[in-house]
Amino acid sequence: MMKPEEILKLIQAARGTAICVPTMTTSPAWRKIAPDDLSVGCIGFMGGASAMGLGLALGAPDRRVIVFDGDGSLLMQLGSIATIAGAAPRNFTHLLFKNGVYHTSGSQETPGGAGTDFAAMAKAAGYRNAYTITTLEDFKKRLPGLLTEDGPIMVQLITGLAESTPMTAGPSTPFHQQVAELRAKVTAD
Amino acid sequence: MPESVPSSLIIDAFKEIFQAERRGAKRQDPLGWIISVPDTHQKSVLAALDKERSLRVLTCSTEDDANAVAAGLYMTGEPVIVMIQHAGLYASVNTIRGISMDGKIPIFYMIGLLSREKDKDPKDSRHSMVRFAEPLLDVFSIPHARLEGPDDVKLIAEYYRKSRERKGPAAVLVGLETA
Repeated sequence: MMKPEEILKLIQAARGTAICVPTMTTSPAWRKIAPDDLSVGCIGFMGGASAMGLGLALGAPDRRVIVFDGDGSLLMQLGSIATIAGAAPRNFTHLLFKNGVYHTSGSQETPGGAGTDFAAMAKAAGYRNAYTITTLEDFKKRLPGLLTEDGPIMVQLITGLAESTPMTAGPSTPFHQQVAELRAKVTAD
Repeated sequence: MPESVPSSLIIDAFKEIFQAERRGAKRQDPLGWIISVPDTHQKSVLAALDKERSLRVLTCSTEDDANAVAAGLYMTGEPVIVMIQHAGLYASVNTIRGISMDGKIPIFYMIGLLSREKDKDPKDSRHSMVRFAEPLLDVFSIPHARLEGPDDVKLIAEYYRKSRERKGPAAVLVGLETA
């Protein structure tokens, strides 16, 4: 089973100037791996990462936008995949970290659990492409293409649990500060 | 008595706001973004926006999406207005709190008061969805005003500006169906 932290380290090495949008259990690990980078973490409005990533992608068409979504999170705002497909941003990579549970609240199984196929949903909604990756070797090999291929694309990543959650990791940079910092960096270009 | 506001006046107000925001900016196309979950009350505005080449309209699946998309656009410096219905305000309360309020993101909303009776103040409406919209905004200390006729169109720019000044949400409610 892939570890989320290992996936994130590979992304950090390959992402270049991409804007990253982590949510829930990828947020604490991403802050350690990529402090002070071009990213904004979505905590406190579970489900909003994909649509926020869409807004960033439409507003910054010359940059890649990578959303680190969760299966439980996406289920909270599943209609966003149709919104994204309709807007069709070419610079949009939607990574779906699928661990099958609500890790933060105690690992209760998500509705549908392991059987829910988000890649199939994304393709049916109208994403340009959607893939499922189960091994780190395969992810590493395909990552450069996933960050340059015309989007919107979804990559369903079958993972284990992250080492920490927003509840166990301690305080992070306040959301409004992350927003202000990202806006300052993006609009300065 | 309240009157319907012509869609052309509303769209002109949007354009003036966006032109002011874009002044001196590198990016000029689109002039601005309208993020919408279709509202029956404002359907004449949405129909007229379809013919506007300079504005980009994005229809979202839900008001939660609309809030998050607007926030993302704001972070890239893009001017944006969100058009929803009162039912969408109720549906997206946690997102407005989490994104626009906690994130200190200026989002300006046009909110249609569908089923508002012409001869009644919204607080006296027999429809709960009309009655509770303004009190709900008050609970969250979100500044708001109501379009009750063509003379009120100036409120659109005023409340858009308020959202920028306070770095948070501000709203104009559309009292009667637009013409």
